[in-house]
Amino acid sequence: MKKWSELKDSSFFDASARERAVGLVDKGTFTEFLHPLDRYCSPHLVVLGQAVEFDDGMVCGVGLLGRHPAFIISMEGRFIGGAIGEVNGAKMVGAIRLALTAAKEIKAKYPGEYEAKRPLVVISFETGGVRLHESNAGLLAHAEVMDAFQDCRHIVPVVSVVGSKVGCFGGMGFVAAAADVIVMNEQGRIGLTGPEVIEQEMGKEEFDASNKALVYRTTGAKHKYIIQDCNYLVEDTIGDFHKVLGEIAGKSMEEIEKMRRIGSIDLVREQQELVKLVGDMQPKDSMDVWKHFGNENPAALPELSTAEFLKTVKRRARS
Amino acid sequence: MALQVLEFNFKSAATQSIPKEWSHTGVTGSGDLEVLLEKKDLGGGVKAKVVTPVKGFDAVWEKMIQKFVTDTGVGNLSIEINDDNATPIVVYMRLRQALAEATAKEAE
Repeated sequence: MKKWSELKDSSFFDASARERAVGLVDKGTFTEFLHPLDRYCSPHLVVLGQAVEFDDGMVCGVGLLGRHPAFIISMEGRFIGGAIGEVNGAKMVGAIRLALTAAKEIKAKYPGEYEAKRPLVVISFETGGVRLHESNAGLLAHAEVMDAFQDCRHIVPVVSVVGSKVGCFGGMGFVAAAADVIVMNEQGRIGLTGPEVIEQEMGKEEFDASNKALVYRTTGAKHKYIIQDCNYLVEDTIGDFHKVLGEIAGKSMEEIEKMRRIGSIDLVREQQELVKLVGDMQPKDSMDVWKHFGNENPAALPELSTAEFLKTVKRRARS
Repeated sequence: MALQVLEFNFKSAATQSIPKEWSHTGVTGSGDLEVLLEKKDLGGGVKAKVVTPVKGFDAVWEKMIQKFVTDTGVGNLSIEINDDNATPIVVYMRLRQALAEATAKEAE
């Protein structure tokens, strides 16, 4: 595996789950929970004759972002598409719960310094959702993660990081959206039903999954950034993600709360306004929506580099 | 239906293990494998455990790992592999890569 100093300038998109986990926190601070030597494989895959992995496709651990302990959960898309089963699901829930325990202990031990030492949860999503081989356990894991997110509200920030090959789809698309903050690179994609599945069920006229430009315009980070489903759009290096996570770690819980999309009556109303807007305008393409939010030449946006895009883009205004 | 678990023992001329207690490389992706190397006192020998969905290639696995042991001269080493349909040359390459990572100096 690459060293931290090499990871800094490496592509986030191409990185393995472990490289991302190590590179997202400060140099030399990462400690992994249930690492490969613990051999915590899925018991279900063995019975089904499916290949197993020592970490069950998920790297969890803790590191530092400045003085803030960062609990990292990083999914490996090359192992069964990063899908969530019983073991990796439990690892995910366990890591979030551990962040809450740490928060409680820090509060008790350093009452005056909680803000400065406040932990955060960072989840690097690369998944299609539930692992069908262990479907019920996978679904339960989704529910438990959502539950744990609720327990974290106003105490520990939860940050979704999306920018890997598989993207973030299925039930985990919901989970990513339920976090406080979402950070993406240009290659990042979030959605519920994957493009191939939409095409298979509804036909090519509804959604052409082979049209990559269309897929990115609809599920990709630039679109999410314009409609405010993504808070930070960064360049595709692990170092850029690390830097922005450091900034987020230092924000107050009030600032963190303002970045959320769901979780209060006001936010539900805001989402309903968006639904109404789409109903009224009947957009044929994401570009119609971009234009509505003030982008005069929407067709040019997908071609821009991240830096140019950030300079020129107009986003949906939030109250 | 269940996964194949293959175990092999090799005699090695050398007793040269890895400097770290253990080292892990790779991902069990499609056509790929992960390798877990562990320093073990095996009287100079090498033992290997392979977990794979593929049936009927026990002899190929044994040959490939034997070649790795002979070529690199490792000893006192435990090799554990989780495989997902990797071809023999990929297996050999990953084993070499795993050993390289296990012996790489932490230069920083």
